[in-house]
Amino acid sequence: MPRILPTELFALLSKHVGQDSAGMELRWLRAAARDPHHLQSLVSRRTSGEPLQYILGTQPFGPLELLTRRPVLIPRPETEHWTLRLAELIHPSSQDPISLLDLCTGSGCIPLLLCHLWPPGSVQAVGADISSDAIQLAVENAHRCGIHVSTFHSLLRATDSNGNTFTPLLADIRSLDFAQSSALRSPFHLITSNPPYITHEDYAKLSPSVKAYEDPRALLGDPQPTPYGKGLTFYHDIAKLAAREGFLARNGVVAVEVGIGQAEDVQRIFQEEGRLRETEIWRDPWEVQRVVIGRR
Amino acid sequence: MQQRKDVESQITDDTTPDDRQRFMKTLSETDALFTEWQEWQSTKELLDETHAMLRDPDSSMRAMAEEEYTTLNDKLSTALQTTFPKLLVPASDDTSKLSAYVELKAGVGGSEASLFVDDLMRMYLRLSQSMQWDATVVSASEIDGGGFRDAMLEVRGTNVYDSLRWETGVHRVQRVPATETKGRTHTSTVTVMVMPIPEDEASAESSNELYSLSDVRIEVMRSRGAGGQHVNKTESAVRLTHIPTGITVSMQDERSQHQNRRRAFRILQARLLDRKLTQDVIDRRDARRDLVKSADRSEKIRTYNYAQNRVTDHRLGLSVKNITAVMEGEALKDILDGLVKHHEASVLESVLAEA
Ligand SMILES: C[S@@+](CC[C@H](N)C(=O)[O-])C[C@H]1O[C@@H](n2cnc3c(N)ncnc32)[C@H](O)[C@@H]1O
Repeated sequence: MPRILPTELFALLSKHVGQDSAGMELRWLRAAARDPHHLQSLVSRRTSGEPLQYILGTQPFGPLELLTRRPVLIPRPETEHWTLRLAELIHPSSQDPISLLDLCTGSGCIPLLLCHLWPPGSVQAVGADISSDAIQLAVENAHRCGIHVSTFHSLLRATDSNGNTFTPLLADIRSLDFAQSSALRSPFHLITSNPPYITHEDYAKLSPSVKAYEDPRALLGDPQPTPYGKGLTFYHDIAKLAAREGFLARNGVVAVEVGIGQAEDVQRIFQEEGRLRETEIWRDPWEVQRVVIGRR
Repeated sequence: MQQRKDVESQITDDTTPDDRQRFMKTLSETDALFTEWQEWQSTKELLDETHAMLRDPDSSMRAMAEEEYTTLNDKLSTALQTTFPKLLVPASDDTSKLSAYVELKAGVGGSEASLFVDDLMRMYLRLSQSMQWDATVVSASEIDGGGFRDAMLEVRGTNVYDSLRWETGVHRVQRVPATETKGRTHTSTVTVMVMPIPEDEASAESSNELYSLSDVRIEVMRSRGAGGQHVNKTESAVRLTHIPTGITVSMQDERSQHQNRRRAFRILQARLLDRKLTQDVIDRRDARRDLVKSADRSEKIRTYNYAQNRVTDHRLGLSVKNITAVMEGEALKDILDGLVKHHEASVLESVLAEA
């Protein structure tokens, strides 16, 4: 039963997150707190700028509840939205299973949600990330969601295990030999990615809750600082991977999340460098162009 | 009864098996009522005859008639008070299995109204506990200084909707606020709306009997600026608008959009079912020209007067001289029982008026 708030906690939070969110956040923090003393410490972590999702340790993502842990990027509602939409667009089955590669997988949110939503035995997913914190968390999340974790990726295994499987891969997706990695069994029917896309210029202006807690490597779209970089480095790399002979299956689909204002550039990169004949842009629930879809 | 005659006259040799089955169903649903009705009519005739004998010149005849008259009269009133009401709710409208959402909204009276939302919410939570219903707070928007702008409870159990549905309406509180220095009594209101939870909740996020998905506009609330990786603030509020009726449902209490959307759809479904049931009552009333009152959302149904330690239910014309007993749930149960009987009585009255 909700009890009357200790008004100070509410006021403190309001100053930090605004009146509207304060009530909600306090409710969630209260549910996570062991006692009033603990609640107070959770609130002070929040007011010092720590993201709510790290304090609570979880974030719902579709019907899943994923673990969140510093410095691995917290799954965003925009990503949740398009992943759910993608799940309805493609219909793999155990008779007709697909192979999925998620580049820059972070918490594993995208492939894990797809593995959860699609029928058992219909998808073999690989999630690649350069950060060992991310790979560790993605594996924990797979276990938590009851998705089989396999160290080897191979489509053949889909039929003998009756669930979907997730293969974590610690790797730099930009390195020249990434495509030849022994853990990857191309061709892939679906490549997804929410790669880092923030420009150095924007990064400087981000809220401390993002900058001081989430891995800069998860956010910066141009790993080598270039003053006029548009944050598009990873899209060039992804397009090149997709263009490789035999990497993306015939009729294969590439779906990537983009930052505000980047969709049309990425669409062009896909057409020019990715050999993707058909492209499409999806908007997020806030009407921002958020996803570029490419088809072979 | 008219319906029964109609149905009977429609069953002829050339009705299809399907129709026949439907007719038989209607007949069996009204069977018990029909028997009771015949019984009632013959008792009534006997009573009329006995009435004439009450003026018989012979005193022993008169004594016999008086005795007979009392027995018949008792029989009739039992039929009126218990037998008929039970039979008169058609099986197709059986809502006894339904659980309910109880929505509370602060009305006039500022912070006093918000505090009263809190009081009423606790009242329903306590009632649920003593009825062994399962009640949870689905959403509640707390306001600075205490109380809630609005709140929504989900109450699950048997007979929940039937017991609570007459709580819909405006609840008025009269009391002296803690902040009032001159000791003046303030009047504030809270609007309560009780909505049935459909049995088939799973269909809420797809087109179903109550609405088509293409008629529902889904919007996110508040701007997220650049959004995506730029922002890690939780922004999960969702608003649904059912375009044909203009009904909107906003939900922000869950931590993800997906969850809020799901909740909002369930509430929209309950709202539309509520609307449908209300409309059914109105249609039936128009068909019968009866006296059943539809639940009027803007009607003041109850007053809680703290200075006089009294709760008055305006429909029953009943006052309970003990506010705590009502707020603790016990005396509220009596009021709820009274309201259910009150409703049954008005249905019966309308049927009798028509006969
Ligand atoms: C924006 S986060 C996305 C995480 C997750 N897919 C999501 O949507 O929440 C980007 C991820 O890319 C990873 N990353 C950055 N550079 C990389 C590289 N060169 N190779 C592989 N992963 C990289 C980061 O560690 C981070 O986990």
